[in-house]
Amino acid sequence: MLKRYPLLFALLFLGYAFLYLPIFSLIIYSFNESRLVTVWGGFSTKWYGELINNGPLLDAAWLSIKIAALNASIAVVLGTLAALTLVRLRGIRGHKSLGVMVTAPLVMPEIIIGLSLLLLFVAMEDLIGWPAGRGQTTILLAHVTFSMAYVTVIVQSRLAHMDTSIEEAALDLGARPVKVFFAITLPMIAPALAAGWLLAFTLSMDDLVIASFVSGPGSTTLPMVVYSSVRLGVSPQINALATIIIAVVSTAVLIAGVTMYRKELKAQRKS
Amino acid sequence: MKMRLLGISSLTAALMATAVTVSAQEELHIYNWSDYIAEDTITNFEKVSGIKVTYDVYDSNEVLEAKLLAGRSGYDLAFPTARPFADRLIRAKLYQPYDKSKLSNYGNLDKVILKSLSDIDPGNQYLIPYMWGTTGLAYNVDKVKAILGDDMPLDSWQLVFNPEITKKLVACGVALMDDPIEVFVAARAYLGKPTDDFSKPAIQEAANVIAGVRDNIRYFHSSQTINDMANGDICVAHGYSGDMLQAQARAAEADNGVHVEYIVPSEGAVVWTDVAVIPVDAPNPAAAHKFINYLMQPEVIAPISNYVAYANANAKATPLVDAEVRNNPGIYPPAATQEKLVVLKTPSDKEARNMSRMWTRAKTGK
Repeated sequence: MLKRYPLLFALLFLGYAFLYLPIFSLIIYSFNESRLVTVWGGFSTKWYGELINNGPLLDAAWLSIKIAALNASIAVVLGTLAALTLVRLRGIRGHKSLGVMVTAPLVMPEIIIGLSLLLLFVAMEDLIGWPAGRGQTTILLAHVTFSMAYVTVIVQSRLAHMDTSIEEAALDLGARPVKVFFAITLPMIAPALAAGWLLAFTLSMDDLVIASFVSGPGSTTLPMVVYSSVRLGVSPQINALATIIIAVVSTAVLIAGVTMYRKELKAQRKS
Repeated sequence: MKMRLLGISSLTAALMATAVTVSAQEELHIYNWSDYIAEDTITNFEKVSGIKVTYDVYDSNEVLEAKLLAGRSGYDLAFPTARPFADRLIRAKLYQPYDKSKLSNYGNLDKVILKSLSDIDPGNQYLIPYMWGTTGLAYNVDKVKAILGDDMPLDSWQLVFNPEITKKLVACGVALMDDPIEVFVAARAYLGKPTDDFSKPAIQEAANVIAGVRDNIRYFHSSQTINDMANGDICVAHGYSGDMLQAQARAAEADNGVHVEYIVPSEGAVVWTDVAVIPVDAPNPAAAHKFINYLMQPEVIAPISNYVAYANANAKATPLVDAEVRNNPGIYPPAATQEKLVVLKTPSDKEARNMSRMWTRAKTGK
C-alpha cells in the first residue's frame, strides 16, 4: 500500500500533522520551565503544581465540565425527539417550518444567540420572576438551545437511513410502539446518540461568546477565565490543564474504542 | 436501556442540586479581570468582614458593558476602564453614587487622579480609581541601540513616527497598536499638537504621520506584541504599560538575552485609569462599600500593585509598594513625565466614525 500510493500517504501524514502537531506542542510546553509560551526553558512540572493551588481555574474547569455533561445529556434527549418528529411524522402540520426552526441555531451567529438570550432572560425575570438572576442554569439553557440543533441533525441523518422494516416486523409480532422504540430503534441509532452527546459536550465546553452573555455571578466557565487572563498574561497552567483534559479524554475514547471493537469481534464470531 | 436513562436523569438531578446553593451569609459579587487582584486579597477580606465573596471574570470591557446595559447583572462591583466605558455608562445612569460617609479611607486616594476623572464624573460621585497605567513604547534595548547608536534619545515617539528612524528599524520590526484613538493621539503628541482635538483636519494631520511610516511598520496589533517583544521578534512596540512590562518580565524570566525597556515618551502619552463602580441595581451595595473601603487601605492595595505590576491610585500606598515596582519609571513615571500625560477624550459618534475611516485609509494606503 505504502509503496503504491506514496503521494496519498504523504498527504495523509500532512493532514494528521496539521491536526495533531498543535496539540503535541501544547502538551510539550506544559512541561516548560519558562513562562513564555514559545521559548523552551527546560523540563519542569511546576505548572502542574501551581494548577493544583489555582482554585478559581479549577472551579471554572469543573463548572464547565458539569455544564457540558448536563447540556449533552439534555440535548441528546431533546435532539432525538426532534429528529424522530422530523423523520417519522412527515405528515403533521408545520413539519417544514419545524425543521427550519430547529436547525436555525446552526447558522445563527453566536453573538446574536448570546445577546438575544440575555435580553430574553432579563425580560423573563421582570415578567415572571424566573430565572432569578443569571448563572449556571441560564448557561445550561443557552447551551442546550444550540447543542440540540447539532444533535438533531446527526440523529436525523441516521434515522433517515434506517431500515424501517425491522421496526415494522417487531410491530407485526405484537410489540408495543414504546417497546419497539427502546428495543429496536434506540440501539440502532445509539452510535448517532453517542456522537451527538460528544459533540454537544465539546460545543458547550469551548463556548465563550454565548456563555459570556448569559452567565451571572458565580458562574465563570473555563473559556471565560482563559480569555480573561490574556490581559495579565496567560500562564502555562492552562497548558497543564489542557494536557490533563486531553489525557482523560483520550483514555476514555481509547477504552470506548477497544470495548466496541471487542463487541464487534464477538458479534462477528457468533454469526 | 430504561435503567441507563434513569441513571442519566438522576445524575442530572444530582448535578442540578449542587448548582443551587442556599446560604444565609452576606454575599458580595465582584466582576473583574482575571488575576487583577492579589492572590490573598479576597480571602483576607472574607476573614475580616465575614462576607462571602464571589469573584467572576470577564474578557473585555465590552462584555461588562453589555451585561450592565441589559440590567439585573447581579454584580455588586465592577472594574471598567474609565474612558470611554465608565464615561458612557455614567451618562446612561447605570452606576449608583458612592456614599462617602461609608468610605473612611477615601482620603488616601491620589487627589491628582481624582481630579483627572472629574470631567467625566463631576464631584467624583460614581468612580473610585483602582489602578492606572500609560500607553507608551517598549523597545529591545540592545538591538535598538546597535542600530540607532547611543546618542539617540529613546524616550520619544520618533521611534515609531519618524520615517527616517523607522526606516532603519524596519528589519528589526516596529509594531503599532490597532486602535485608532490611541495611535492618533500619540501621533498628535509627536507633532506637538493638542491631543484632545478630534476635528477632521486634526485627525488628517495625525493620519498623514501614520501614512508616512506605514511601509516601515511590520503590523498593527494590540496584544500580539507581548510575546513578539519578549521573544525578540520585534524591536519597538506601541502598547499598554501593563502589556509591555509583562513582555519585559517574560523576557527576563526566559533569560533569552532580550532586554525590553518600557518608556513613556517625553512628548506626552495617554494615561488610562481603571475604576471601581457599583451598578445601579447591585443586590448588595453595602458590601461593595465595605470592600472598596478595605481596598483603599494602603497596606491592602500596595501588595496588589506588587502582584499585578500596575500603579494604584492610592497616594498613601506608594511608599509601601516594592521598590522594584515603585521605582520603575514605566509603572510610576517621574513627575516631569506625569505632567505630560493626557487623558483620552471620548469622541462623539461622528468623530469616532471619521476616525475609523481615516484609520483604515492610513493603514491600507487607500
